[in-house]
Amino acid sequence: MSAEDEEGRSKRVGIRARMYVVFGLVALGFGMVLSSAWDVMVRDGEGWRELAERQRQRRLRIVPKRGTIYDRNGLALAVSVEVPSVSLDSYDLLRTVPAPQIPVVARDAANRIAAVLELDPADVERKILSKRRFSWLKRQISAEEAARLRELASRKVMGDRRVRGLVVEGEGRRYYPRRTVAGPLLGFVAPDGEGKDGIELSLDHDLKGHVEQLRGLRDRSGRLLFADGMHDDQALAGHDIHLTIDQGIQHTAERELANVATTFEAAGGSVIALDPNTGEILAMASWPGYNPNDYRSSEINERRDRGLSDLFEPGSTMKIFTIAAGLSGGAITPAQKLYCEKGFMPVDNVTIRDTHPSEWLSISQVLAFSSNICAAKIGLALGGNRLYDSLRRFGFGQTTGVPLPGEATGMLRPRSRPWVQVETAAASFGQGISVSNLQLALATAALANGGELMEPAIIKRVSSATGETLRTSVPKVRRRVVPKRVARAVVEMMIGVTEGEGTGVEAAINGYQVAGKTATAQKTDPKTGRYSLDKYIASFVGFVPARKPRVVISVMIDEPMLEHAGGAVAAPLFRRLAKKILEYQGLMPRSAKRADLAALARTADPAHAVYEAMRQAEGRRPAVQDTVSPAPVGAGRVRVPDLTGWPLREAVRRLSDLGLSAKIDGTGLLSLQTPAPGSVVTKGETLTLFFEPAT
Amino acid sequence: MKGVVSGLLKRRAELGPPDAVLVALAVGLLGFGIVIVYSASTIEGVGLKHPDPQFFLKRQTVYAVLALAVMAVASSFDYQKLRPLTYAILGVACAGLVAVLVVGVVAGGAKRWINLGPVNIQPSEVAKLALVLWLGHSLAKKGDLVKTFKLGMLPHLIMAGILIMLCMKQPDFGGAVVLALLTFILLFVAGARFELLVVTGVVASAVGLALVRSRDYRWERILAWLDMNEHRQDLAYQPFQSVMSFGSGNFGGVGLGDGYQVLYLPEAHTDFVSAIVGEELGFVGVLGLGLTYLVIVARGVRTALRAEDDYGAYVAFGISTLFGIQSLFNLAVAMALLPTKGLTLPFVSYGGSSLLASAAAMGVLLNISRSRFAVNNKRVDEGPAPEASATLVTEADFAPEGPDGGTR
Repeated sequence: MSAEDEEGRSKRVGIRARMYVVFGLVALGFGMVLSSAWDVMVRDGEGWRELAERQRQRRLRIVPKRGTIYDRNGLALAVSVEVPSVSLDSYDLLRTVPAPQIPVVARDAANRIAAVLELDPADVERKILSKRRFSWLKRQISAEEAARLRELASRKVMGDRRVRGLVVEGEGRRYYPRRTVAGPLLGFVAPDGEGKDGIELSLDHDLKGHVEQLRGLRDRSGRLLFADGMHDDQALAGHDIHLTIDQGIQHTAERELANVATTFEAAGGSVIALDPNTGEILAMASWPGYNPNDYRSSEINERRDRGLSDLFEPGSTMKIFTIAAGLSGGAITPAQKLYCEKGFMPVDNVTIRDTHPSEWLSISQVLAFSSNICAAKIGLALGGNRLYDSLRRFGFGQTTGVPLPGEATGMLRPRSRPWVQVETAAASFGQGISVSNLQLALATAALANGGELMEPAIIKRVSSATGETLRTSVPKVRRRVVPKRVARAVVEMMIGVTEGEGTGVEAAINGYQVAGKTATAQKTDPKTGRYSLDKYIASFVGFVPARKPRVVISVMIDEPMLEHAGGAVAAPLFRRLAKKILEYQGLMPRSAKRADLAALARTADPAHAVYEAMRQAEGRRPAVQDTVSPAPVGAGRVRVPDLTGWPLREAVRRLSDLGLSAKIDGTGLLSLQTPAPGSVVTKGETLTLFFEPAT
Repeated sequence: MKGVVSGLLKRRAELGPPDAVLVALAVGLLGFGIVIVYSASTIEGVGLKHPDPQFFLKRQTVYAVLALAVMAVASSFDYQKLRPLTYAILGVACAGLVAVLVVGVVAGGAKRWINLGPVNIQPSEVAKLALVLWLGHSLAKKGDLVKTFKLGMLPHLIMAGILIMLCMKQPDFGGAVVLALLTFILLFVAGARFELLVVTGVVASAVGLALVRSRDYRWERILAWLDMNEHRQDLAYQPFQSVMSFGSGNFGGVGLGDGYQVLYLPEAHTDFVSAIVGEELGFVGVLGLGLTYLVIVARGVRTALRAEDDYGAYVAFGISTLFGIQSLFNLAVAMALLPTKGLTLPFVSYGGSSLLASAAAMGVLLNISRSRFAVNNKRVDEGPAPEASATLVTEADFAPEGPDGGTR
């Protein structure tokens, strides 16, 4: 071994040692990386997993289409239509912009967006710089604005100057096709989709549907890749509401109310029409009203549903309930006569007066002449507590439970203590207490239907967007108020009001018996606390036909100026509206001659005769074979019936009854069938039916 | 040329088998790479102009087959025959690095690829191997002179410096760092004076830092990496998503092909493929991957220790270190332990250049790992003089054809 070898070996050893050192360092590096992997993946993995999960889930907020509000016959009163709204994904807008250029780009984009949408550029710029993924720019924009925005965002038109992150999407806007009809009843919907008044508010939850959060997967640029299925297949549309309101009656009521209110320069008024047998509200008119399509230009007192939320001292209409209470309480009998003190009766320190001073009056006459004194006597005979209880049983002083917002309770005992004698006397003829028009109508309905207080119904049916009925209103009796005989007796007395010398003759309708009661109540002057001399509330409540009532109508006119008697102001409105409703519902007047259906059935079709006559006059031979005596068909053969206009299911059913089969084309109602109707075919033959959707 | 081939064949019989563990690991990694690249690249493939979820899978498979061929060829002849080609290879690498600056394709803000029709080649991948071959040759030649600064260290530093500067020009900061580390490690192993290495290392680091700071985008990237949470939506998006991928994997992973992070992680199939391994195969997968590379380095170092001469030892060690550094840095970057550099994971990441360069390097390593007792005995018999003349002859024989042999 030479020294050189020795040196070489030590050199080798050095190299080997250093290789080990380097390998050790590399191994150490791997150790560090792997221990860090353990930390990230296992020890702290939970946080990262959650973050990743959140990142890839894109939540789609699907705002369902708001349900439609229909009247009882299926006429749409409130519908939702899609209107474009524009929102901004400012993160997307600035995504490709290098940091130093952000202020410039943001300002430029803000100016261009603001120019299109007529917004404040500074405001838009602030939204852009917020780097938020969602903010509304402008809701419910016009089609033109939407088109210009799309242009702004289009690469084709704008090239590199296009604005990213603009999202134009349809948003539901509420539209009331019948404009002012039932405006205060329906309410309106704010741009954020919240129902704000009336039905829109009280049934907001049903109408709105559930805002469904859809979970989807998104990629790097935020595009939705795929979404989970819907959890609730009814989520995409709110429920439809079918009201008990009849649009025709409502419209008439509103028109008549507006006529009266403007004629008498009234401050306001309300009309309620309801079915006494079911408690269904057919019309609820309030004046002044407003157009919910343009609710912004209306004032708050125009949006109030006065029949529901305005309280007033009812005055004489209350006497019918006092009498009913007296009769059922045994304080009076129907045949009794009362002494009416010739128009003046002092009770404690006040004097009660009558407008028609009388001596002895039957109970009927008390009502017909509207004697305050005798009503007070009945009330006093009954006693304050029993009168109060009776009126409570009629539903006064408590909410009716109608599912509408803003219902007023009314007040029987102003100071929450039993009445003193004067108060009992005053309450007997409707003073010192307050009621709402709806309470009055329902209490009257309780007399009309034989003594049962009904729960008012405004929602007839709630159905899902697919047409499935979810809830139906069933007539609900809240309680029996008076025995049937008492109710009948009071009805008979109320008929007297509209007959002869009664105060309500203006309400009488030819051919029908009308039961009702007028009221002319002085208003309390809020300044003096005394009854005002020139401010009145004229009202009339009644029903028709009296003995088998179809509709109760309660009219309240606030501060009519030219004339203030209930019989002159409110009763004619009752008459006109009731007449319309009777005609509308096809109820014949008593005197009307009914068509003899049997005779009509025997005669040949009159239209056919006219048609034939015209043809002959034109010198043409009859084109249509006489359908009265069709040629006999052979055995095993059938004549094809005319099925045009029938729905698919029915048409097929009828054909199969005849032993024919059908080939179906299209959907809807049958528009064409071959072979033609009337032709004779062999049983088992196949007909081709063409259907078209009903328009 | 005919002589070369016949020479290769003749020599072959005298060579022992290559390191079976290395072969197994390299081939295994290639296969694993195809699978994981497929999982990581489908989204990218669908997003192509002509959507094809299997686009990257097909290409990677072709590259893997080619890589196996390259590996086989590179391991089959006496690696001593590479030594005369050292400068030719280095020249080609340099030329490539210069060419890429001139005709390179810009992608991701850097000129790293030369477009050759159907394929893009990345010269910096070639440069790494070229530098290792040259350092092995040069350090073995210098012997004890390595200890001097002027003759031992300076030439290597200058040569490496040129390659590093060319890489930085692209810019390929990751490549530059790998080249620098390789140079320092091989100088250190060869016995360069430690204090000199420390001084030059400090100087080099200072220069590197200055270069980083001189380019705003690079500095911003570093700052973003330091405060990743703040920049997770912009500059640090990629490392943040990558760490999220690892974190999503937990212990056992979400299952091969079931990962979601491919939707968000850019370059999931190339530089950040390990993040997908992390998500889909979990910590177990990452541990397996890390240990595989460590074992490759270990077997490579073993090969270096057993090499018949200094040249073989240095080259084997350099190649092992190259794999070690490259995979270590790739994993560290994917876990955001280091700022983003643009380094591939050898044998696994998608990309022909990376795959073929790694395969060639592995081929040379396998070549060195072949036992050569028979050859050694012969050489001892023949003595040193014929060896030198043989080298000369070989050099004369091969020199004109150098460029041919050097290109791959």
